[in-house]
Amino acid sequence: MHAPARLAMSIGRRLLMAAPVVMAIVVLTFVLIRLSPTDPAVLLAGDAPAPEFLEKIRAQYHLDESIAKQLAIYVGSALQGDLGTSIYFRKPVTELILAHAPVTFLLTLTSLVIASAIGVSLAVLAASRPGTGTDTAVTALSLAGYSMPAFWIGQLLILSFAVWLGWLPSNGMGSARETFEGFEWFVDRVRHMVLPVTSLVLFELAIITRFTRAAMVQALRQDYVAVAHAKGASQTRVLWRHALPNALVTTVTVLGLEFGFLLAGSVVTEIVFGWPGLGRLFFDAIFRRDFPLLTGCFIFTSVMVVLANMVTDAVVSVLDPRTAR
Amino acid sequence: MNAVNPFHAKPWPVWRALNPSGRTGLLLLLTALLLCTAVAWMLQHSPSTMSEALREPPGAAHWLGTDDLGRDVLARVAYGGQISLMVGAFSALIAVSIGVAVGAACGYLGGAFDAVVMRVTEAFQIIPRFFLALIVVALVGSGIWKIILVLGLLSWPATARVVRAQVLVLRKEEFVLAAIMGGASTTRVIGRHILPNVAPIIAVSASLQAGSAILLESFISFLGLGDVAHPSWGLLLQQGQLFIRDGWWISTFPGLALSLTILGLNLLGDGIRAAHGDTTGTS
Repeated sequence: MHAPARLAMSIGRRLLMAAPVVMAIVVLTFVLIRLSPTDPAVLLAGDAPAPEFLEKIRAQYHLDESIAKQLAIYVGSALQGDLGTSIYFRKPVTELILAHAPVTFLLTLTSLVIASAIGVSLAVLAASRPGTGTDTAVTALSLAGYSMPAFWIGQLLILSFAVWLGWLPSNGMGSARETFEGFEWFVDRVRHMVLPVTSLVLFELAIITRFTRAAMVQALRQDYVAVAHAKGASQTRVLWRHALPNALVTTVTVLGLEFGFLLAGSVVTEIVFGWPGLGRLFFDAIFRRDFPLLTGCFIFTSVMVVLANMVTDAVVSVLDPRTAR
Repeated sequence: MNAVNPFHAKPWPVWRALNPSGRTGLLLLLTALLLCTAVAWMLQHSPSTMSEALREPPGAAHWLGTDDLGRDVLARVAYGGQISLMVGAFSALIAVSIGVAVGAACGYLGGAFDAVVMRVTEAFQIIPRFFLALIVVALVGSGIWKIILVLGLLSWPATARVVRAQVLVLRKEEFVLAAIMGGASTTRVIGRHILPNVAPIIAVSASLQAGSAILLESFISFLGLGDVAHPSWGLLLQQGQLFIRDGWWISTFPGLALSLTILGLNLLGDGIRAAHGDTTGTS
């Protein structure tokens, strides 16, 4: 089979395997709401609700029915995309999430592309010179990035480039005082993206470099590398054409496994920079004790993580046909 | 097997076995411990006493400055570290205990038990730990012990997987077979013969888990779910966020302490792993 067909096949198979996990996440959320010490009707209606509103919530979520029936109703509506109504915003949770998610993905995916390009290059550079100053520097840098909370990196960038140097804006997606059009609007957007994207790149770069370097070091010890050298392949060719594709299997797998952590990094970074995405939504949900919104955001991010794992699994099966079963 | 275990050496066994970066990690960790114990007790300022000196930059009276309520930042960092280190230590203890138990049982028993439990572990690992912890803390409340418990209970799968892989190999070693032939009980074989040889891996796991628990607690605090009664480094960072423009020292120093401690734990973890023979840098 050709690569595209194989990719489609393995995505299809993984969709089937992902279904139970998504199901488990929804059930887990239901169990957590039921386990909490507070009356779920109050959780869903917000603090100090009017008695008739509380009754309406009880009726809407069938809270007077048996637990089994409640679970069935909750799972049923969640799977149909109904995640309840936000108490604070008074809007359907799904609508709010879909309105905020693209902005988060703009930030996350932009930084992920940049971080992957730089991270993989640094990892190849370090692994090709094991034990040298370059290797030590790259390893130290990635370990440092790995140890710093993403939001603190953001705070430091704001301090340096917005407060002290005054070069870049530190808050929001665009200037509030002026309105720009056309190309100027685009420039304004990009200027607002520089700092949040940079702090996310530093955070993601650490993970990508750390694991890719380790995988490259392993790959370079394999027999096929010696064979390639013996056949007279250049060092560049051995590194990028022979070793790297094998090391990338690890990189892609790690990106899937760590996707939840990457999203967590985006969420806290958004808060530092006043970026109006899912992070903002999480923060509002927690600050306002808006539980339908909070559980909705949780289910959404979890499903995103499951999907990311599925995609990276499928990509790995194309990169490395041995893993495709 | 014990003969090659670098942790059974002469005086300073751990120090001797570690590479330079592992030693740096150990030093960073010891510095953090010293700051949170000895230094914290020697300070004249209490972390909660407010003073007239509001948002004073670092100087002679307050080495790291004061915050918006006139509290000494150095004292707050030193006492905040006690909370953060406690989160790291106890979350790691919980996670590693469960992880070792599950991993050892799966690796040793194998068969259907192993297959089922490992499938569950894998599924469990996909659910984003940070967001799940966030939801649980939002629902059950922000007490520091609740946060520790939640982080510990959600973090065991990684340990379980590495321990299982190692036990799977050790189970077929001759000294283990000899012990079984000698009539040792299953618990004795696992406890006396297998686990001591998994010890370095457990130490690596504990050190990395502690670092990641401290990091995740800071994320939770930053989203407004920290335990206000027990201000950790993460909570100090969240409170400092408001004053980033006119009090850089309020969030910079807790962030530095937090990052250096986590860096220390990660370096130590990698160092122990390297001492045990893996030189690639990560698992």
